[in-house]
Amino acid sequence: MSLAPLYAKAAVGAVLPGRGTTLPADEVVRDDVLVDRGHVADYARVCGFALSDTLPLTYPHVLGFALQVELMARRTFPLPLPGLVHVRNRIVATRAVDAGELLRIAVHAERFVPHPKGAQVDLVTDVAVEGAPVWSGRSTYLARGATAPAGAIAAAAEELPDVSGEPAAAQWLVPADTGRRYAAVSGDVNPIHLHPLSAKAFGFPTAIAHGMWTAARALASMQGRLDDAMAYDVEFRKPLRLPSRVSLRTRRTADGWDLGVAGKVEHLRATVRTA
Amino acid sequence: MPARRAAVIGGNRIPFARAHKRYARASNLDMLTATLDGLVARFGLSGERLGEVVAGAVLKHSRDFNLTREAVLGSRLAPSTPAYDIAQACGTGLQATMAVANKIALGQIESGVAGGVDTASDAPIAVNEDLRKVLVALNSARTLGDRVKLVGKLRPGQIVPEIPRNAEPRTGLSMGEHAAITAKEWGVSREAQDELAAASHRNLAAAYERGFFDDLVTPYLGLTRDDNLRPDSSVEALAKLKAVFGKGEDATMTAGNSTPLTDGAALVLLGSDEWAAAHRLPVLAHVVDAETAAVDYVHGRDGLLTAPVFAVPRLLERTGLTLQDFDFYEIHEAFASTVLATTKAWEDPAFAKERLGLDAPLGAIDRSRLNVTGSSLAAGHPFAATGGRIVATLAKLLHEKGPGSRGLISICAAGGQGVVAILEGA
Repeated sequence: MSLAPLYAKAAVGAVLPGRGTTLPADEVVRDDVLVDRGHVADYARVCGFALSDTLPLTYPHVLGFALQVELMARRTFPLPLPGLVHVRNRIVATRAVDAGELLRIAVHAERFVPHPKGAQVDLVTDVAVEGAPVWSGRSTYLARGATAPAGAIAAAAEELPDVSGEPAAAQWLVPADTGRRYAAVSGDVNPIHLHPLSAKAFGFPTAIAHGMWTAARALASMQGRLDDAMAYDVEFRKPLRLPSRVSLRTRRTADGWDLGVAGKVEHLRATVRTA
Repeated sequence: MPARRAAVIGGNRIPFARAHKRYARASNLDMLTATLDGLVARFGLSGERLGEVVAGAVLKHSRDFNLTREAVLGSRLAPSTPAYDIAQACGTGLQATMAVANKIALGQIESGVAGGVDTASDAPIAVNEDLRKVLVALNSARTLGDRVKLVGKLRPGQIVPEIPRNAEPRTGLSMGEHAAITAKEWGVSREAQDELAAASHRNLAAAYERGFFDDLVTPYLGLTRDDNLRPDSSVEALAKLKAVFGKGEDATMTAGNSTPLTDGAALVLLGSDEWAAAHRLPVLAHVVDAETAAVDYVHGRDGLLTAPVFAVPRLLERTGLTLQDFDFYEIHEAFASTVLATTKAWEDPAFAKERLGLDAPLGAIDRSRLNVTGSSLAAGHPFAATGGRIVATLAKLLHEKGPGSRGLISICAAGGQGVVAILEGA
């Protein structure tokens, strides 16, 4: 599953005139999607999930991401895909999704608003089985220096709890090829993740891990401790440079867990709550 | 007799899959964790601290060193549930069951899970032994000169990896070749083997049809039944297969009457009667007793897979039972010929006298009570998983039959060992 051609198209489109100023109103939809169990296995291995009959909670994001790119690669999409920064991601699952179920995946964009540093937009992925919603993911992206239609500036997102005071639950050695491996299973071939050289071209000193890989890896470490119906809210902070040695910190709360991934700097804060 | 008997409360397994097929991507840990979570879901044990979980795998990666504990940590059981690994080749699952049952009988624990897992698909492949020695030395070399010298010892031939073989280290013979020797010795016919194999498929298919496995099996990776099962298997079709083990015209063992390499996992939930009652769980059967035997198949006269022939008379003597006192016999079908050679040995007066030291042979068993819901020839045989499959199956059969019913389990294992046990219906 390579999104490279769409990525290239989006990159070219980014510098051409004719960009729209408002979000497309329609949805990108795929009906009767049957996941490829081999692909689920690849994803599970890269992110640290066990191989089971139910999809890892973060897996449908990968299914939706392909449609997100399709939407954002349109000439009329108001923001250039290259350079978009994933700042927040919230997933709500109402139940576990079996790998054998036929899925309807729909992606749309909303909340295109000014941000103190540019503009931000939400790409929303909704997954339904036989008409009933089972999974929803909201990815918030920031486009630095871009402009959104005049209006209220995006309310500063609520910061997630800080767990940096907790002892480390686990130490991860994140290898240099993590970005390439996650790109291969997610289709997110953004050059900033692939190689130090391609990352340098975009102003990063080394390749950086995909935020959604870090989010998936953190969730995978909670295997066996989570309910099927849950909300996973993730706040991406500083990029995780590859390779890295980072710590996972966790804190039990009344109805779930607070998580944090940090090395010298904080990379991710997250909460898992029973939905 | 122990003060109390451990209760078999139930079991869970995933369907067994032929190697390199449906579970090709699954590791031992994946399968064991999925099977444990299925058991936890079936019996409402989420967040529960059990006395212990004991399981094992025959084919193990070095990363699987704490396999069972890792499975517990990844499961919905309380992380405060202790676990350990055991291994006794194909006897692993039944031996694990006895380890847990004995602790329950002694009052050391109130509940536990036992079983095993194996994958022939995701088998450990090690680096070539010569290469391994260089790498180990390289790791401890202190100077650049030493390292350069060691790198000079690398040879292209060392790239060839060590692949695990289904062969006995001391004899170099595969299990099938060993079984073929025993089959010939006991004059086990091709027809009798094919009949047993066909019956195994027929019985397993019928058991699935009547829903017998509905509360024993949880689907995994899209598989809902053992994919080695051929409901339309027949003696005629089996008769067409070429012999694969043994030599010459009179070779009788085929791919049809031998078990294929298989992937899978099976677990059993055990507890004291009090624990079961407190958790409102049914008791299917009780563990009565067990015996493990071993034979000298290397330099002695006995066949590799014949240890149960010796274990059963010892167990019967201790429990005061005869071979005919059972409602069900579960004799693991490593090969059809193994089952048939075992029963022939029990029927043989000369063997009884000379080898078992008995005045009379144990006698024949009622074949209609043998492997009534199929066995390894049809279901497949992921080595360490077979014990858990059989214990849960037999416990359910005995529960259906009623209190006081009895069942005998016999499992042969590599290394010339055998584990046998008696369960009593509750």
